[in-house]
Amino acid sequence: MSVVSSTPLAAAAELKLLARSIPRRVFDRASGTLGFRIGVSLFLILALAAIFYPEISGIDPTKMDIRARLLPPVFLGPNWSWAHPLGTDQIGRDMLVRSLVGLRYSFLIGVASVAVTLAIGCALGTVAGYYGGRTDTVIMRITDAQLSIPMIILAISVLGVSRPTIPAIILVLGLSNWPVYARIMRSVVMTERRSEYVRAAQVGGSTDLRIILMLLVPLLLPPILFTSVLDVARMMIFESILGFLGLGVQPPTPTFGNIIADGRKYLLNAWWIATMPGVFLGLTLTSINLVGASLERARNSIHGGEA
Amino acid sequence: MFVLAFLARRLVQGLVIVFLVSLLIFTLLRVVPGDPVRLMAGGMAPEALIEQIATSMGLRDPILVQFGRYMGNVVQGDLGQSFVRPANGAATGGSSFNDATRGERAKVADLIFETLPMTLQLAAVTLVIALVFSTIIGVAGGLAPGRWPDKVAFYVSSIFISLPNFWLGIVLALLFSVHLGWLPAIGYNGFAYTILPAIVLAVELSPVLIRTLVSSVSSQMGQSYVSVGKVRGLGHARIVANHALRNASVPLLNLLGVQFSSLLGGVIIVEFIFDYPGLGLLTINAVLQRDFPLIQGIAIVTSAIFVVINIVVDLVATTIDPRLEY
Repeated sequence: MSVVSSTPLAAAAELKLLARSIPRRVFDRASGTLGFRIGVSLFLILALAAIFYPEISGIDPTKMDIRARLLPPVFLGPNWSWAHPLGTDQIGRDMLVRSLVGLRYSFLIGVASVAVTLAIGCALGTVAGYYGGRTDTVIMRITDAQLSIPMIILAISVLGVSRPTIPAIILVLGLSNWPVYARIMRSVVMTERRSEYVRAAQVGGSTDLRIILMLLVPLLLPPILFTSVLDVARMMIFESILGFLGLGVQPPTPTFGNIIADGRKYLLNAWWIATMPGVFLGLTLTSINLVGASLERARNSIHGGEA
Repeated sequence: MFVLAFLARRLVQGLVIVFLVSLLIFTLLRVVPGDPVRLMAGGMAPEALIEQIATSMGLRDPILVQFGRYMGNVVQGDLGQSFVRPANGAATGGSSFNDATRGERAKVADLIFETLPMTLQLAAVTLVIALVFSTIIGVAGGLAPGRWPDKVAFYVSSIFISLPNFWLGIVLALLFSVHLGWLPAIGYNGFAYTILPAIVLAVELSPVLIRTLVSSVSSQMGQSYVSVGKVRGLGHARIVANHALRNASVPLLNLLGVQFSSLLGGVIIVEFIFDYPGLGLLTINAVLQRDFPLIQGIAIVTSAIFVVINIVVDLVATTIDPRLEY
């Protein structure tokens, strides 16, 4: 592709338009599929419920009510009531509100840790791809080493030995998957840095930092964001695993992991405590994964068609 | 000859990785707050005794000195002794610091190599279940892109990847063990105890295998050798089984090497749920008890296994597809 423009930044603007068309085409193709639509609808329903139900119902997720303890979900046992559609736990806390509040924490931690992953991975990948040479070698060796480290052992060791706070959890999750992004970013930056518009910007006197931030990152980030959708789901599972082991957000704050760990003790006489939050988590993850997988399929078919 | 050069290079790289992992975990464990000596000696032990034990165990030396001493032993095959586990399996003690019945502490290497076979058995059963299931779904999907087997593969993998392993473990145990009574779930007392945990792990592992198989099989079927095979008069089944699947299995194999690390996470949680006495349960307990030497030993052994698995995967891949270079 040739970009004819008077200034480097105008060239960048034109090129951005050219390149934007690919993410848009991917999005258009994906949004036509059934899987994508199911995923988005399911996600919206769950998101609206998580945002509004705990507020509208006015139920405190940590409020105990001994008279209403171990109530089953509606229609699924004796003494159920519409006041607690998913039943209550061993000290009478409402399971629906607890699950939805857990969903909030899980999703926000998932998104935040993917943001950390993206920031680290893209920064290192861009630097490695742009400068090449020894910088590239050193960064890629670190990346290789990181991929060979049993991260789960490091993660649970650090969180188990220190106190798990929300920032610590986000950091540990965020540090687990950045090499994947570093590799993708490096390979695309390596091809881009030889293109005419980057040369033009260099000749025009733009600093490296300016080229990276103003030209490369806005151009190359959107396709990578498609990939990161699937990672949000992966991080949410990881977060709930930490919570289940007692290494996540600490009680009384409800999270999927710690509710399920609690409910496991009452599995035989109150099966819903451990299973219902998992249904919520599973539905949320399914919605995210359907969207992410549809985007990924659309991207592969478009790139495959061009190659 | 090339094979030997390849092996030598990869083994050296592997040693560097294992060394880095050891350094990382060793430093992390000593930088984060929490004194393991307090845990070993018990809450009632006087401060002077704590200091005495810590000094005699070398825990008050600079981290680099401790690390050097530790690695010196590791090179000789000695992974040290557990902080809290006794060798004879009796109670670990806890509150009393001068309990005479407290025996010799267990060797980390013994603990790891006692539990490792259990985890390998679990991993093997998992692989068999996951490969059989993914091959059926994935090959069918890859042979019919855009049609219903492809869609089945897409939805099955999307749903499977969305099932949190610990929740699935609880639900399956409740269903098959408590309600139906078909399979045992908790502990280990024979091969049947491996099946439920292996199913949970296989569900976790299958989605990536299915997706890789679908895309690699469908791209192989578009290659020219497939059309040439038809012209040569080979049957469809023979083309698929002898040629396309053989080539499609290479990405799958590479994937298995990479997946080992995430499978390890699943093993830890699944063994914890099912109280399955393998390396995963040992890891969780080591972390919860702040048993530093045990955590270090496990990290070193697992990263070494990881290195070996990836070397084996590359060797097998070049055997299947001789075009690949070492």
